[in-house]
Amino acid sequence: MVDASTLARTIISKYPEVTSKPLEGNKIELIVPSESIHNIVSMIKEQIPDAIPEAAFGVDLENDKYEVIYIFWSHESKLLCQLRVALEGENPEIESVTDVFVGFEWHERETSEMFGIIFKNHPDMRPLLLPDELVGKYPMRKRFLTDRSRVDETGLSTPRPRPSDGGTSS
Amino acid sequence: MKPKILEEASEIWFGPQHVSAHGWATKLTLIGDYIVECDPNAGYFHRSAEKCLEFRNFRQGSMILERMCLVEAFIAEYPYVAAIEKIVDLEIPERAKIMRTIMIEFNRIHSYQFWWGQIAGELGLFAMLLWPWVDREYTLDAFEELTGSRHSVSYNTPGGVKYDFTPTFLTKMERALTRMEERLPVFSDMLQGSPTFRLRTEGVGQYTAKDALDWGLSGPNIKACGIPMDLRKDDPDPNLAYDMIDWEVPVTNNPDHPGECDAYDRLIQRFKEIDTSLHIIRQLLPLLPEGNIIDPKARGKVNRLPEAEAYGRIEGARGVTAVWLKTLEKSQTPYRAKIRGPCFATYYALKHIVPGSRFADFPAIFGSLDAYPGWWDR
Repeated sequence: MVDASTLARTIISKYPEVTSKPLEGNKIELIVPSESIHNIVSMIKEQIPDAIPEAAFGVDLENDKYEVIYIFWSHESKLLCQLRVALEGENPEIESVTDVFVGFEWHERETSEMFGIIFKNHPDMRPLLLPDELVGKYPMRKRFLTDRSRVDETGLSTPRPRPSDGGTSS
Repeated sequence: MKPKILEEASEIWFGPQHVSAHGWATKLTLIGDYIVECDPNAGYFHRSAEKCLEFRNFRQGSMILERMCLVEAFIAEYPYVAAIEKIVDLEIPERAKIMRTIMIEFNRIHSYQFWWGQIAGELGLFAMLLWPWVDREYTLDAFEELTGSRHSVSYNTPGGVKYDFTPTFLTKMERALTRMEERLPVFSDMLQGSPTFRLRTEGVGQYTAKDALDWGLSGPNIKACGIPMDLRKDDPDPNLAYDMIDWEVPVTNNPDHPGECDAYDRLIQRFKEIDTSLHIIRQLLPLLPEGNIIDPKARGKVNRLPEAEAYGRIEGARGVTAVWLKTLEKSQTPYRAKIRGPCFATYYALKHIVPGSRFADFPAIFGSLDAYPGWWDR
């Protein structure tokens, strides 16, 4: 049994660069600098032996800023731990944590092809879901232009102007 | 340089045309009829649902979610609704909470009826494919009566549910439940008493609980290893009614290999799940109060959401089903919606489970994991 705040304290006492933010219930968010992600994930593995790698995904914050979010869930401790890593740059790099939790292998592959985030030391970086013509276009980025020709029908206000046909990245 | 033994290996694509491979394909490397390497391929079904969600408002979004897995549509759309309800302050009527839970459990039964026919078909037992699918028609009839649609139901909505239970629906549901209760022992006998089924599933696709946790498996695939990991108990959604009743998480502990499970245990586990769902519905039906089915202010409140992040999760028929939602101030659409499908991990795990098995066991392994392509391709 590991309590969310105990987990945060243990991690922060060893890695003071990490900050924590409690969420409702036995849930916690840790804001982790990108260079220490591998250490923190290894430490979570040590502290919570039955943690499952629930999800890892990217968020595009525009202007070349990205976030990668890792979510762990432990049944025994009823604990949810969310790691947030801020990244910056055209093709930001972060270390892969696949060697700690093999279950993240495909999550990282997907994040990489959708957002253009490079996971260093990942064993298999082939595209996972995308068709060939979209590889390298990073469709989940905000600046990827989708076909908005029918967006009026959805009833949403202020569709952004569409300079050319969809399917290309600016 | 390849090891000498691999020079004689042959590569076979299982799917996407194979009868049991509907929307997926796996490259298998074989020596003789033993599989030495398995490379699951995803993407045959990719519809870019997460991007689509960014162009739909908060009431429309759940209709995209239910298309992730049509056989568990009530369940699939719920995490999105749950995430919105965490952001907006809505008062869900008691009646709606219970109705949601009943439909989610009813849908769970449907999902296992579908799966049960599917694995029988994958193992080549055609009669066993048709029997549960006949029963499934009763369930679908009830869905159709309630929502007007057999599969894409769009029932749960932020603030409550869309359609009230009608007397005809209750009769049809009663008929489907009674049918299932009668047939469950027959199916159990068919499974446990059939030497063919046992021969084809026992000792096949075996893995330990520790590995399963590492791969990120959840739901029946991990409960079959004896770990009672179930979000309905561990992290119940406040707008569902699981805490109102008394029930136990079903687990399978096979004394022959404690802490591990094979295909047969996973089959048994899903039968227990049907039993539990029936038990939950039977307890919830008498508790159904009169009243509203939706918060009357919900429509206005979910038009524009404040800046927030929320993570809605629910125990689906196949495991942890979740949506992570980020919204901006006064937004009409999500800024980012991440769909966490349970089968993403399951399909990935094939890579580790399959090597070492015989080629003929592959459909049994895949079928017993109950992976649905929509969940990993999204």
